[in-house]
Amino acid sequence: MTRSGKNLIWNIAFYMLIAAALVGLYAATLKIDYKWRWNRIPQFIIYSAEETVKAPFDGRAAVEKGRISIIPDGGGDPFVVEKPQTSRLGDGDTVLKGHIVAVNKSWKAGPLLIGLATTLQISFFSIIFAVIIGVFAGLARISSNPMFKKLSILYVELIRGTPLLVQIFIFYFFIGTVLSLDRFTAGVAALAVFTGAYVAEIVRAGIQSVHKGQMEAARSLGMSYTKAMIYVVLPQAVKRTLPPMAGQFISLIKDSSLVSVISITDLTKAGREVSATTFSPFETWFTVALLYLVLTSGLSVLVQKLEKKMASSD
Amino acid sequence: MIKAREVFKTYPNGVQALKGVDLDVAQGEVVVIIGPSGSGKSTMLRTLNLLENVTQGEIEIDGNSLTHPKTNINKLREDVGMVFQSFNLFPHKTVLGNITLAPLKVKKMKEAEAVKIAESLLAKVGLADKRDSYPSQLSGGQQQRVAIARALAMHPKVMLFDEPTSALDPEMIGEVLDVIKTLAREGMTMVVVTHEMGFAREVADRVVFMDEGLKIEENTPEEIYNNPQNERLKKFLSQIL
Repeated sequence: MTRSGKNLIWNIAFYMLIAAALVGLYAATLKIDYKWRWNRIPQFIIYSAEETVKAPFDGRAAVEKGRISIIPDGGGDPFVVEKPQTSRLGDGDTVLKGHIVAVNKSWKAGPLLIGLATTLQISFFSIIFAVIIGVFAGLARISSNPMFKKLSILYVELIRGTPLLVQIFIFYFFIGTVLSLDRFTAGVAALAVFTGAYVAEIVRAGIQSVHKGQMEAARSLGMSYTKAMIYVVLPQAVKRTLPPMAGQFISLIKDSSLVSVISITDLTKAGREVSATTFSPFETWFTVALLYLVLTSGLSVLVQKLEKKMASSD
Repeated sequence: MIKAREVFKTYPNGVQALKGVDLDVAQGEVVVIIGPSGSGKSTMLRTLNLLENVTQGEIEIDGNSLTHPKTNINKLREDVGMVFQSFNLFPHKTVLGNITLAPLKVKKMKEAEAVKIAESLLAKVGLADKRDSYPSQLSGGQQQRVAIARALAMHPKVMLFDEPTSALDPEMIGEVLDVIKTLAREGMTMVVVTHEMGFAREVADRVVFMDEGLKIEENTPEEIYNNPQNERLKKFLSQIL
C-alpha cells in the first residue's frame, strides 16, 4: 500500500474517533436524562437591551428626523431624545408625564462576555508585569553579584514551591490588607509574581543559550556589559525564548481562572453565576471552555506570527 | 605599542595557562604566535584586551595600563580590535548592522557617518555587495572578512587575530589571509595566533613559539623555521610542516 493511502486511512480513523467521542458524549447525557438547552446560553454572552424613554413632564411632541423634542406646557427647556428607534408619537401629540416617548434597543454584553473582558484585562496586565519581573529576576540570576543572585534564587524557589491558589490568598488577605490593594490589583500582582518566576527561568535559559562568543565579540568592540546585553545578547535570547514564553502566557490565561476565588468576576466566576441561573451547567461550562480556547489560541497565533517575523535573519 | 610583563594566568580549576610571559610588540609590527594546542597562545592573546583576566603581571597598550584596577577597560578595548576563530558575528543584524553597531552605540557616531565607514570597509574586504545580507547567508570566509571589517570600524590601534582561519574550509583561507596581509602592508600593529606557516613566513616580522604556558623561542620567521634552537620547537615544526 502506498504511503499516501496509509495516511488517508489514519486520517479517516482520526475523524471517526472524534465522531465516536461526540456520539459517546451525547449517549452519556441521554443516559443521565440531561436536557440540552443551548438556547439559554447566547443571552448571557450578548443580549438586546430595551431602554424606554419616558417623558419627564407634560408637554407637546415635536417630531423631526432623528430627534423628538417634548416642549413643556409651562415653558422652559425642551426634553430632547436623539435618534429614537421606535416611537409612536406624531408631531404635535400631547404627552403626559410618564408617557413612553421612545424605545431604544441596543446590544449589551452579557455576564460571560464581561467576564471574558475581565479575564483578558487581568491576563494582559499580569503578562506585562510578569515579563518585567522575570527579565530582572533572570538577569539577577546570572549576575556575579551574590546578593542579586541569591535573591533571585530565593524568589524563584519560593514561588515555584508553593501553589498559586495559596499565593493568591496570601496576596489578597495579607499583602492586600497591609497595602490596602483592591481585588483586581491583588489578583494581577499574584499572577504576575507567580508567572514572573517562570519567566525568570526562561530568560536565564535564553541568555545562557546565546553563545558566549557573542558577549566576547561585543565587549571586544568596547561595549559595556549592559550595552552588550541590550544590543547583542538579549535580542537573540528573546527570539529563542518566544516559544516557551508563549506557553507560559497561555498558562497564565488559564491560571487567571483561580482569581475567581477572591471574588473577581472573571470568565470562570461568570460561568459559575450563569450556570446557577440557567441550571444548564454543561452548556455553560462548554461555552466557558470555548471562550478560554479563543483567548489562548489567539495568543498562540500572535506569537507564531511574531516568531516568523523574527526569523528573517535565520 | 604592546608591552606585557610576567603575565600569569591560573584558572579557578587550578590549570596554569600562562606562567610568566613577556611580550613586546612595536608600532606597525606583525607578531605571529605559534605553538601546540594548550600551549597558552590563545589565552595570551585574549589577555591583551582583558577578555581573559590576568592572575598576575602587567600589560600596557600604547602606554595605558590594562591591568591597573582603575583602567576604564571599555575605553581601552575600543583601541584593540579582535577577530575570533568562530567569527562571532551578531546573527540578528545585517552585515552593515554588525559593522555599525559599535560605532553607533559606543562612539555615538552619526548614522550616516557610520554607514559611510562601514561601506568603505566592506569595499576594502571585497564584500560591498553583501551589506544587507545576514551572517547566516554568507560563507565562512565572507563572515570572517565581515568580522575583520567590524573590528576595523572602531579604528583600533592594534588588531588581535585568534586563529582566524582555523574554522574555515581550505578554499576560503586565502581570501581571509589576503585581507590580513593588506592590513599588514598598511602598517597595522597585529598579533596573530595561527597555524598557517606560509602566512607567518610571509607576513610576520617576528614569530613567537609558546609551549606549556611559556614563551620558548622568539625570532624572525627565517630563523624560527630554518634554524630552530629549542627541541620542542623542532618537534612542533616537524609535526606540522
